Amino acid sequence: MSPALLRIENLKKHFPVRLGAFGEKAATVYALDDASFDILEGETLSLVGESGCGKSTTGFAILNLHRPTAGRVIYKGENIAVFDEARMRPIRRDLQIVFQDPYSTLNPRMTIGEAVGEPILFHKLCSKAELPGRIERLLADVGLPGRFAQRYPHELSGGQRQRVALARALACEPKFIVCDEAISALDVSIQAQIINLLLDLQEKYGLTYLFIAHDLAVVRHISDRVGVMYLGRLAELGTREQVFADPLHPYTKALMSAVPEADPAGERTRQRQILEGDVPSPLDPPSGCRFHTRCPIAMEKCRSSVPEWRDTGAGHFVACHAVP
Amino acid sequence: MSSAPLLAVADDPPVSLWRDAWGRLIRNRLAVAGLVMVLVLAFAAAFGPMLTPYDFLSQNLDARNAGPSLVHLFGTDDLGRDVFSRVLYGTRTAFVVAIVVTALAVTIGVTLGATAGFFGGLFDRIIMWFTDMTMSVPNLLLVVVINASLKAPLSQWMETQYLATLNPFFRETIWIDFLLVFGSMALIAWPPYARLVRAQVLSIRSRPYITAARALGLTNRIILTRYVVPNAIGPLIVSVSAGLGTAMVLESAFSFLGVGVNPPTPSWGNMISDGLRVWQHYPHLLAVPAIVLGLATVAFSFLGDGLNDALNPRGSK
Repeated sequence: MSPALLRIENLKKHFPVRLGAFGEKAATVYALDDASFDILEGETLSLVGESGCGKSTTGFAILNLHRPTAGRVIYKGENIAVFDEARMRPIRRDLQIVFQDPYSTLNPRMTIGEAVGEPILFHKLCSKAELPGRIERLLADVGLPGRFAQRYPHELSGGQRQRVALARALACEPKFIVCDEAISALDVSIQAQIINLLLDLQEKYGLTYLFIAHDLAVVRHISDRVGVMYLGRLAELGTREQVFADPLHPYTKALMSAVPEADPAGERTRQRQILEGDVPSPLDPPSGCRFHTRCPIAMEKCRSSVPEWRDTGAGHFVACHAVP
Repeated sequence: MSSAPLLAVADDPPVSLWRDAWGRLIRNRLAVAGLVMVLVLAFAAAFGPMLTPYDFLSQNLDARNAGPSLVHLFGTDDLGRDVFSRVLYGTRTAFVVAIVVTALAVTIGVTLGATAGFFGGLFDRIIMWFTDMTMSVPNLLLVVVINASLKAPLSQWMETQYLATLNPFFRETIWIDFLLVFGSMALIAWPPYARLVRAQVLSIRSRPYITAARALGLTNRIILTRYVVPNAIGPLIVSVSAGLGTAMVLESAFSFLGVGVNPPTPSWGNMISDGLRVWQHYPHLLAVPAIVLGLATVAFSFLGDGLNDALNPRGSK
């Protein structure tokens, strides 16, 4: 197994909800609680789960774009979760992010060339004279012709803009990219192009991805390891085979049973397991195991005590009292 | 991977949003008409008084209340002063007041609004309370109160200072007029700018491209100057253009009521006020300043509408 690029320990992010004339703290959104996992060098780790389960918050907290409430993010031996913006700056070069909505991630007032060139100049990665060549190479990397450098974002399609966003992230020569639903807003055909592009770039530059998604078919296609989240907590994490073929957590089982199969014979015999009820509010998450309100095998213990996050062997992590 | 769909952008020259907006503006006839009228008025304000043979104050009691003629283009008033010269000088008054008041109001409004929007929290609450409070006071009343309570004591103080020091600076009380007009009007004009800028900053602050810029490690200064300001300034431009027109109307209204610029300094407002008394006999004394004021209002409102359509194309129609 490759060494860990990032080690996340008990990471928490709670958002205060302020209401009233004096901004009293009225409630807390428990967006992310006690997440611990490693991100290995060169891997694609996917985080899946329903909307609002804390996948994106995890990505933002790792990059310190949302300052974590508690916990540690270890990068190169240092806990970057407590770094201020000035200390984060050199590290931001290594850790990049691509967002979901290609229509709003680019500044509408900057040309593509300016957008891609900005991080290069800011981090002083090359001289002014080399810049145009550098921008052209980056655009070529993401499959765009160099003349696009003169264009403005509003002249491009969604897929083209997502390529530009990727080129901009690559401009810093990062080691790690968070793909925060990076393909969810695109057409299916464009999704395939961008996924292939991501895989090509990973191979070419040895990138590590944290791939945040809800499309399980895509996740199965590209991931080395998969983490499953439910209501701000990690339920299960393991290799793609472990999670898809041998899910341990009842939530993962229900989730996996929802994936359609390409093989018609398999699809006919697929047993769907429908969960009852709705996801509880993260403002007031259930006690004990957060899944116990909807879990088909919930026990008395699940109401009172939080299941421990543990390795069941071979790097297959799960948080469930029912798993031996 | 096929490259065909990637080449979908045509080969015509790239268009920045600003140039795009300019293109839309000059295709809009009303906006162009407004722009031309504004430019003509601005030219008149800047150079007008130099172009007429008459001083706006010089009286010619032999030619009082003369109708329009080649000698006096717009006739003369009850003291034989050339109305054309006075209207030109009034244009200058209107522009000076409008520009200074708007500049003051924008400075106050942008500073407070941007602070409130950017920092949020308690700053935001206090500033917005203050803004709402100011907005809740009737404009006219506030200006009248300020002028009525401050003008007399200030003038008196100037007079005693002049008598004591004989410094010519204290003899010219016209500056008090302007100071009070500028000050009181800026005081009522800034809240809309503060609200606009706060809303803009709030909305832009949460856009993904700001997070993306932060993720690249860019400094707050770069994010503000290259990301927030260029994207926030469009609505502000529209608002300033409309605000200039409003300030001119307000100045005229206050001068008309006698709480603005005082005679003998010509302002459209006090010219209308003078003309109103004798309009049955000398209609041109009322018509000329009223028409010019009307044209100025129309010009700024056309230009403002045009700018709005040009800068926020999705919001129109």
